[in-house]
Amino acid sequence: MVAARKPAVPGSALHLVPALPQRAPAPELAAAEPVIRAETLTIRYGEFAAVRDTTLDIPPKQVTAIIGPSGCGKSTLLRAMNRMNDFIDGVRVSGRLLFNGRDVYGPDTDPVELRRRVGMVFQKPNPFPKTIFKNVAWGPAVNGYRGNLAELVEESLRKAALWDEVKDQLNKSALALSGGQQQRLCIARAVAMQPEVLLMDEPCSALDPIATARIEDLIDQLKSQYTVVLVTHNMQQAARVSDRTAFMLMGELVEVDVTSRLFTTPGDPRTQDYITGRFG
Amino acid sequence: MTAHFVNLLDDLRRRSLRMAAQVEDMLQECDEFVFRADEVLARRVAARDEEIDAEEVGVETEVIRLLALYQPVGRDLRLLAAILKVNSDLERVADCTVNIAERARHLEVQELANETEELKQLFPLVRRALRNAVQAYSAEDADVARRVIHDDGAIDATYGQIVRRVVAAAPRDSRHMAGLFDLLSIAKNLERVADHATNIAEDVIFLATGTIVRHSRE
Repeated sequence: MVAARKPAVPGSALHLVPALPQRAPAPELAAAEPVIRAETLTIRYGEFAAVRDTTLDIPPKQVTAIIGPSGCGKSTLLRAMNRMNDFIDGVRVSGRLLFNGRDVYGPDTDPVELRRRVGMVFQKPNPFPKTIFKNVAWGPAVNGYRGNLAELVEESLRKAALWDEVKDQLNKSALALSGGQQQRLCIARAVAMQPEVLLMDEPCSALDPIATARIEDLIDQLKSQYTVVLVTHNMQQAARVSDRTAFMLMGELVEVDVTSRLFTTPGDPRTQDYITGRFG
Repeated sequence: MTAHFVNLLDDLRRRSLRMAAQVEDMLQECDEFVFRADEVLARRVAARDEEIDAEEVGVETEVIRLLALYQPVGRDLRLLAAILKVNSDLERVADCTVNIAERARHLEVQELANETEELKQLFPLVRRALRNAVQAYSAEDADVARRVIHDDGAIDATYGQIVRRVVAAAPRDSRHMAGLFDLLSIAKNLERVADHATNIAEDVIFLATGTIVRHSRE
């Protein structure tokens, strides 16, 4: 609450109304050096090009949403960012994908280390069949974390807005949690690895509206510390939570813009048709 | 569901354009009858204003309903925003025509014959501004809208001439002071109609381009 000021004009009621909080203006494009940069990136499954000649910057500490119809290549692009596509046979990548200036697919890049710094949250909550504590602690423990694990678990659960709900039941099975809680646990698990980037692939599609709202609030909080890339089918969700939105169609990046602009004045008629439901 | 929404949006747009056409008619009636001190005119314009008031509420209700139920984006969102804003300006233009008709009812036409030259010039200028604004709205034509904004300067200048004429005439012709005030009031309401036409033109530019040009010197 901003302190009421003495009225400048006698009798003015202005001082009764608290001043509005200062909010950062909507970020513009290319305001900062990108954390992830795709340069003429093409990703093929065999002969099929799922992502074609795509150039896209992911700026730091913002939420970038990738939207588009099924099969447009948005999940393929997301999964390339921490090399999750390595597990699929026949994937070929050309062009460049850079993480902090280093080639993600370069010979010097360790995929395991990359995935530690670029974490992922999946469509369906997938906690390990272990306790809540172990779900969060396991990753750092096997990666040789030397600090206080209990503190790290608490910090991670707090960042995932789950601590207050589970602090008295850390030894309970994670599978006993609700779907929304399980998804926040998965976010806590990713956060515990102290990543720079969180990739989220349809993180709310298996959740009810209330759980979805909690995850969206959480994404809004997480962006102060992490760069978030969100793939979603839900355009309203992209509009609500992201700073920038990229629209993909048939493997091509059609348009990327500040979210408020893309949803009011899209530059490309294909984007216009898609966001207004006139697609196809 | 999208096809259904597109139909609803198109219906609403046409409803707003019909309202605009009705308001244009009201202004035309004022132009045709203002110098005849016509009693019937005032009653007819007032009756039409009640229809416009009801229509304004109807259009606004429908805009809010579509926003709530369909969460439109892109051009659809801009169109609904424009309809809502134009709706308010049209209702105020209708109010201005009522004011003009009220004043016209007892305008001392014969006695003020020498003082109405600029007012007679002002009517067609304002009618054209409103006509062009509504045409721009109908065609979503930003170029026509920009012309409306540009032409408002000539209307303001003509209104200024009327003010100066009334100020000059009042001391030497105090018997007709009430008539001069009526004349000034009609001119003021016409000038306000032109301002509303300018507002509509600005909304058309937003609709067509997504840029808010209000308070800017484009």
